[in-house]
Amino acid sequence: MSVTFRENNNIGTIEFDQEGSKVNLLTSDVIKRLDTVLDGIKTKQNLEVIVLWSKKKDVFFAGADIKEIEQITESQDGMEKARAGQKVLNKLEDLTIPTIAVIDGVALGGGCELSLACQYRLATFNDKVRIGLPEVNLGFVPGFGGTYRLPRIVGLAEGLKMILAGKPVDGSKALKIGLFDRLCPQTGLEDHLKKFISDIKSGKDKRLGKTKYARNKKKGWAGLLEGSLTGQSFIFYQTKKNVLKATKGFYPAPVKAVEVIEKNFFLNRVKGLEVEARTFGELAVTGISKNLVAVFYLSEKYKKLKLEGADGIESQPVRKCAVLGAGVMGGGIAQLLASRDIWVRLKDINYDAVAKGFQAANKIFKDGVKKRKLTKAQAMTQMAHITGTLDYSGFKTADYVIEAVVENMDIKKKVFKDLSGAASEHAILATNTSALSVTEMAKETSRPEKVIGFHFFNPVHRMPLVEVITTPMTSKETIVTTLALVKQLGKIPILVKDSCGFLVNRVLLGYVNEAGRILEECGEMEKVDRLMTDFGMPMGPFALSDEVGLDVGIKVLHILEKGINERYKPVEIFETIFKAGYLGKKSGQGFYSHGKERTPNPEINRLITGSSRRRFDPEVCRERLLYIMINEAARCLEEGVIDGADTVDTGMIFGTGFPPFRGGLLRYADTLGIDHLVSRLEKLGVELNAPRFQPAKYILDLREKRKGFFKG
Amino acid sequence: MERIAIIDGIRTPFCRMGTDFNDLGARELGAIVTRELLERTAIDPREIAEVIFGNVGQPADSTNIARVIALMSGIPTTIPAYTVQRNCASGIEAVIQAVMKIQVGEGNCYLAGGTESMTSIPFYLSRSMQDFLGRLAKAKTVMAKLQMWGTFRFKYLPPQIGLQLGLTDPVCGLNMGQTAEVLAKEFGITREQQDAFALASHQKAVKAREALKEEIVPVIPAPKYKTAVELDNGPRENQTMEALAKLKPVFDKRSGTITAGNSSQITDGAAALLVMSESRVKALNLPVLGYVHAYAFAGVEPHRMGIGPAHAIPKVLKKAEMKLKDIQAVEINEAFAVQVLSCLAALESPSFAKTFGYDGYTGTIDRSILNVNGGAIALGHPVGASGTRLILTMLKHMKRDNLNTGLISLCVGGGQGAAVILQR
Repeated sequence: MSVTFRENNNIGTIEFDQEGSKVNLLTSDVIKRLDTVLDGIKTKQNLEVIVLWSKKKDVFFAGADIKEIEQITESQDGMEKARAGQKVLNKLEDLTIPTIAVIDGVALGGGCELSLACQYRLATFNDKVRIGLPEVNLGFVPGFGGTYRLPRIVGLAEGLKMILAGKPVDGSKALKIGLFDRLCPQTGLEDHLKKFISDIKSGKDKRLGKTKYARNKKKGWAGLLEGSLTGQSFIFYQTKKNVLKATKGFYPAPVKAVEVIEKNFFLNRVKGLEVEARTFGELAVTGISKNLVAVFYLSEKYKKLKLEGADGIESQPVRKCAVLGAGVMGGGIAQLLASRDIWVRLKDINYDAVAKGFQAANKIFKDGVKKRKLTKAQAMTQMAHITGTLDYSGFKTADYVIEAVVENMDIKKKVFKDLSGAASEHAILATNTSALSVTEMAKETSRPEKVIGFHFFNPVHRMPLVEVITTPMTSKETIVTTLALVKQLGKIPILVKDSCGFLVNRVLLGYVNEAGRILEECGEMEKVDRLMTDFGMPMGPFALSDEVGLDVGIKVLHILEKGINERYKPVEIFETIFKAGYLGKKSGQGFYSHGKERTPNPEINRLITGSSRRRFDPEVCRERLLYIMINEAARCLEEGVIDGADTVDTGMIFGTGFPPFRGGLLRYADTLGIDHLVSRLEKLGVELNAPRFQPAKYILDLREKRKGFFKG
Repeated sequence: MERIAIIDGIRTPFCRMGTDFNDLGARELGAIVTRELLERTAIDPREIAEVIFGNVGQPADSTNIARVIALMSGIPTTIPAYTVQRNCASGIEAVIQAVMKIQVGEGNCYLAGGTESMTSIPFYLSRSMQDFLGRLAKAKTVMAKLQMWGTFRFKYLPPQIGLQLGLTDPVCGLNMGQTAEVLAKEFGITREQQDAFALASHQKAVKAREALKEEIVPVIPAPKYKTAVELDNGPRENQTMEALAKLKPVFDKRSGTITAGNSSQITDGAAALLVMSESRVKALNLPVLGYVHAYAFAGVEPHRMGIGPAHAIPKVLKKAEMKLKDIQAVEINEAFAVQVLSCLAALESPSFAKTFGYDGYTGTIDRSILNVNGGAIALGHPVGASGTRLILTMLKHMKRDNLNTGLISLCVGGGQGAAVILQR
């Protein structure tokens, strides 16, 4: 049974142990069973205390069942679901004897809310302990009283922070803000629980004698701020301002969450919970929420990505890596590896270049210290994991080699030829190339089965995606170890077959080049960028080019032009701007001038000489930019570069920042409808006299079968 | 007894106090050489039985600095580490500890080195200031605190300079430079002789720059990581007798001869060696740089500490049953020019040999085989690291010139001498 009750010495224990699962989820079924158990408890007069106990290792409750929420299509339904949970948790809260949630692991979402309904929360020093309300990340608000109870327990400011950021806190933080009443060692937990119960009963600890909302009343200035109406209004005002800025109007859930808390903070429980339930129902049915849930599933699926048909193949441990090329990428890769306790030998052709890599890595560590993600000591010891070299010394002891030298096939080939001798026989030889043929490089070595593509995105420490590029020669062992390394680095992998530009750059550069064509035809650089940021992209195509560097963009475009089709020939205006030396951030000026503030580079307009000026039609431009990506992604599917639409969406979201609330590139395409997509693509093809808009066969097939990329 | 091999070694460039390594501590320098040695030798760190480092300054933020260095360099946490202190011979002591441990069968492989950041040796509060702060901390009320401030005196303020304290012998009360003056007067060594010796040190060091690169790992110093320091920054290309003659004596202003120019430079640096039993070397089939053949330490009067090598050298020769003529290259650490010259003079003197019973183990050291790559006057003397550097520099020199036997020696503050015979 998932919920059981036992009694011993007048202590009642409600035990949660979901069948056939590693974790507990707060499903409707569990709630129903809990309800029954609570009814039974009410009849027992002898009980002195109730303990909520999870039998799962490192888990109290992982959350509510997202599948149930996903299936909600009517807001009324959602509201009912929330109310049902609230009712049972109220019943728990209303028990007249002390209730204690024992938390020895994660307590997220509904799990957190369940513990909030108890009078006390006793947690352990287990590293896995995390508690929080991540609901807003999925596009809705907590629905089982979290918005009502959390700010009352931890204070308004902390409560808002936790709910709006959706970021769980660890045990010591939870203790500090009063969310936990005590932390105890994991060993001998039952004894510590007994002691906790006797401390509650004895009344010696005055703090424990107070009700949960009175227990953490702040003193001094903080108390004054949180206790007065003026102070509270100030907190709400500030929070709303910040939330609007952070969500850019794309994500309604955090905004709604503040509204809910602002209302129910001043209401009684019945009315307050009603506000929460209503908002939960409204948000749970929105497309944005459905998309965010889909993206959550994607990230969960790909984070744990396993190679099919590789059962029984063990990944090899990676303790030391060699990295070739200490540029922006090499330095970033070295930093990432070092931060995960992997030793790094960083090679370049001269020490000035190596120093650049050290600077890049050090900057990230320093920022980490500034943001208090790292202590100074951690930054120092992790930085010490990186050593520099000009020769191949130290390569023999590397388990994994990542090459990030310039994008030039001849140089890459030489590197791989050298590595045959320089690296150990057991080492995997990976390339961080963004577009060149991994197969060609593999052929240079004595062991092509050990060669694989390991494509990071810039900036390495921020972008979650790694494209893992396999050739027909790459062995399963190599892939398994590579996927394990990606996981060790905290990144999300997608498997891509070796082909020109792989997936993400192939799709993205078609888009950037299309933006260039629009620029040639209509000017309006800023408007094009705004179109895309309004769509939800983290930055527009020209701002993106400035980040990466136009020289790099043009180089890759040429590779794609040669390897795929002339549609990738860099537009004339790019070549002109490149020749004028406006490369982007690295040269101080690109499409924008990068001084203290970013301003459009006035020279760009003068460089546009296109005679056939077209009128700037935002709707058409938006279509051109998005549809060219969809069409290219479909071609990738058609060619079998990737295994499915899921992979495309994962790649675009985690590699380019394609807006998660849109659900992903192809999920977005499905919302447009395949018929609409085909007719618009055909029309654009004719109007612009552009074969690149000729709908991919894959899309035409979908239309034929009346299917979508996902639907049907 | 089993021969003790040195597989390889590495050192940082030696940089004058307050220059390129201004922002690095002894632990960072030590970690750099330790990690680099692991990288270059490709040794499995699990082979190492223990990490031993010599260090004189013993920084307060890295007590048992060897352990800190080991942990920062990827030596497994299960492998222990300890720090040794024998003043200027600390870097030799670390290696000798490894030798002895292998000889008694404690372990087969040791990572031994020396590290010093003389830049980082702190200034101390005066004792009176310390007492004042103690009293202030005890004052509880605002009034009491104000009253306490009333007892403050400005003479509490001047700090004690740690480096100066460290370079002063508490027993004889002389600082190291003053002990050198004692030798100058005793052996009658002139200012010109000293300056000429110093000039030669610079000239040899400048000439040896390329050769010394072999033992140096370029360092890209934190926190800016601006560029790599690839060379020692002590040797002066245009050093002249005239320039040296212009310098004023530091320790005895009126009748002294010791100047900043004919003394060793105050410097930051680190060095490390991988020491292994011959049987383990054979089992792992590793190339060997050389062997530690014999070692000796000797005690002398603290106020004549610079004469230490003149005692340690015959002692080690006797132990090894060798003669001075068997030695093909000699390194005597140049703490002071006068101190090296005094040692040479003592070793040449029959009465010296007779007095101390060194008959047959002293003699003339051919100047053409002495400190051929320059010494501490040009390269600098990061006290904890110098001993390790001498062994490293000697072994690399022996390899380049295909020599079989070399001897290194240095004088030690507090009145000691150390000497080691190396073989290939």
